[in-house]
Amino acid sequence: MISEKLVEFIHGPVFMALGTRNEKLRPAHTFVVGAIVNQDRETLTCFVSQSRAEKIMGNLEDNGKIALTVGSPSHESYQLKGHYVSLRPTDAKDVAIQEIYRTKLVALMLQYGYPEQIVKPMILGAKYQPAVAITFRVEEIFLQTPGPEAGKKIA
Amino acid sequence: MDIREQIAENERLIEQLNRELAKKSIEVRIIQQLSSEINSTLDLARILQLILDSMDRVLGFQHCMILLKDESEEKLRVFASRGYDQEGVGAEVRFGEGVIGVVAKRKKMLRLGNIRSSMNYLMAVRAKMEEAGQLQSAYAPVNLPGLPNAHSQLAIPLLVKDRFIGVLAVESPKPNAFDELDEILLNILANQVAIAIDNARMYQMEEGRRKELDEANTKLVQLNESLEQMVKERTAQLERAHAELSTAFERLGEQATELAAFNRTLEQRVAEQLAELERVSRLKRFFSPQLAQLIVAGGTEDPLKTHRREVTVVFLDLRGFTAFAETSEPEEVMGVLGEYHAQMGKLILTHEGTLERFTGDGMMIFFNDPVPVPNPAERAIRMAVEMRERVAELVAKWKKRGYDLRLGVGIAQGYATIGAIGFEGRWDYGAIGTVTNLAARLCGEAKPDQILISQRLLGMVEELVEAEPVGDLSLKGFLKPVSTFNVIRLRG
Amino acid sequence: MGVLPDEIKPAMEGVIPSHVVTCSLDGTPNTTVISQVYYVDADHVALSFQFFNKTIKNVRENPHAVAWVTNPESLETWDLELEYDHSETSGPVFDAMDMRIEAIASMTGMTGIFKLKAADIYRVKSAAKNTDERIPLAAIDK
Repeated sequence: MISEKLVEFIHGPVFMALGTRNEKLRPAHTFVVGAIVNQDRETLTCFVSQSRAEKIMGNLEDNGKIALTVGSPSHESYQLKGHYVSLRPTDAKDVAIQEIYRTKLVALMLQYGYPEQIVKPMILGAKYQPAVAITFRVEEIFLQTPGPEAGKKIA
Repeated sequence: MDIREQIAENERLIEQLNRELAKKSIEVRIIQQLSSEINSTLDLARILQLILDSMDRVLGFQHCMILLKDESEEKLRVFASRGYDQEGVGAEVRFGEGVIGVVAKRKKMLRLGNIRSSMNYLMAVRAKMEEAGQLQSAYAPVNLPGLPNAHSQLAIPLLVKDRFIGVLAVESPKPNAFDELDEILLNILANQVAIAIDNARMYQMEEGRRKELDEANTKLVQLNESLEQMVKERTAQLERAHAELSTAFERLGEQATELAAFNRTLEQRVAEQLAELERVSRLKRFFSPQLAQLIVAGGTEDPLKTHRREVTVVFLDLRGFTAFAETSEPEEVMGVLGEYHAQMGKLILTHEGTLERFTGDGMMIFFNDPVPVPNPAERAIRMAVEMRERVAELVAKWKKRGYDLRLGVGIAQGYATIGAIGFEGRWDYGAIGTVTNLAARLCGEAKPDQILISQRLLGMVEELVEAEPVGDLSLKGFLKPVSTFNVIRLRG
Repeated sequence: MGVLPDEIKPAMEGVIPSHVVTCSLDGTPNTTVISQVYYVDADHVALSFQFFNKTIKNVRENPHAVAWVTNPESLETWDLELEYDHSETSGPVFDAMDMRIEAIASMTGMTGIFKLKAADIYRVKSAAKNTDERIPLAAIDK
């Protein structure tokens, strides 16, 4: 489902956010700090702060529909839509991934010329632990890079 | 949140509040300070710099500029700036270009705090569009004055009574550097700035106008002076002309008077001349034209004035004329007379005789009056002889026509009374005396072709003529018979 | 009513991108990153759109949306519950947004190409500051 390139992209310095909805079709948002594509390349596990995860638990269990946006400071971005599979607390490996992710993201943002006084507090100041790992199956992938092809389904 | 976080939070809040408070109190100070500074000078450049300096020192706007609208085109020019390496004064911004250009175009304030990130985003979109071939031209960066890496910008239009005159703009490399409070501050500033600029410009304009006025005034004064000069000259000209005209008028008046006088004398002269001509023409009846002129010219005494003189009188007529006249056609008679008179007349003139009268074929001529001549008797004789010869020629001609006419002449010398004879309207010049009678009687007695003269006369012209006696004739009016002679020819 | 406090205004300047989640009528959520959520007044925000997208489509079916905005000064984040109200193609809100877009477009050679099509106006149902999601600066490894 998920291409090699996209896997690398998702594993790189990217901003991520997870959208869910409740039984009344009210959407909910949570930001994501780090994610990994599972070896099957069908499922993806993203790390969400615990408090946030609690808020969206209901949605996951009610309908399980998720929409994950993954975007680079370069504005290249994708939206992966799918279905909730499972949830578990993060382990040390996940934390390590998270910390690498945070560092890389800060570095890239600074590279892009964004001011340090914003970049560092914004990325490094975002609470990322305690967190949970939410796994979901990717069913659709859309191009989300702004431009003429935005919204195009690519998988 | 733990205590530390709380404290940090509070610190931040307090800081924020302080900032706001500070700004508010500064607000009032700024306006006062700036107002007094601005209004104390009307030098536009100085004003603009003052404003920008204050904005930095007092309000912390480290990078700011003032742009003013071009007079005719839709563009602005940087008139003053502060906080830039290159002052950038004079740099242009077209309406619609960048934050400043868009503010100018829409005449509305704009505050952006995310310029770089927005641009990044848009550039990415642009790149994609270029890839997709949706864009015609490649990106050409617009050269705008200001910070190359500005992240925040706040620009406000400068308006004077809705009239757009320029833009006041502040910049920062920091994102979201300006907030609503800054908007309010800048709004207040902008009003002041706009008014100050407008005043300064008006003052400049006024200055300019005053200069223009001064120049115009100077020119006017000069013009006035030269005008006065011209007027003086013109007046002088006119006076001269007037004087000339007056003189001319006087002259004309004089001339008119002269003319009038001349006219009068002319009339007089004409009258005189007319009278003269009348006399001449009157006298011409009797005298040759020369004689008439002479008399009129005063060369001799007025002949019409009665006087006595010794004259030689000649009477002549044509023998057989009466019978001829009775038996001939009037035209023939007049023709003969005409010929006869013409020839006789010529001779009278030639010999300067005076024709006293003629009655048909008879004529009376005398000599020595009105003009005295040295030899009247001689003249009379010569004339008579020539007459006889001339008539003989005519007689020859007449004979061919069947006329029988022949000349007879009588000549006498003696005193006669001469003058005007007649009555009003019909004065004639005439001679009366024995001498005229004698001449007439002798003529009556003359046979064809005879020229009869008395012995007394013969005595006077003896050497001149050859004469034959014809006897003593008894003439009417004469007591004794007159010894008479016929002139045969002239001697020599 | 005044749901939005003044302190949220810096988060509405588009300094840090925001997230918006909508949901289609068939129940599929849509998560997107947008450059700016515009502050209209204390009870309304606006989203600009230049190109038609899923978000726009969704809210016209199902008006419920959430926005996640970040204050670039404090780095605090806010969750906003929104309800799509109406769309505007003119008026002061549209003009203000259009002006911003015009300025940026002119600086990137996109004048006329990148244009505000419409401003979607949302009512703000609630605004919650996320106070427990920050790691204080002092603790951040510099």
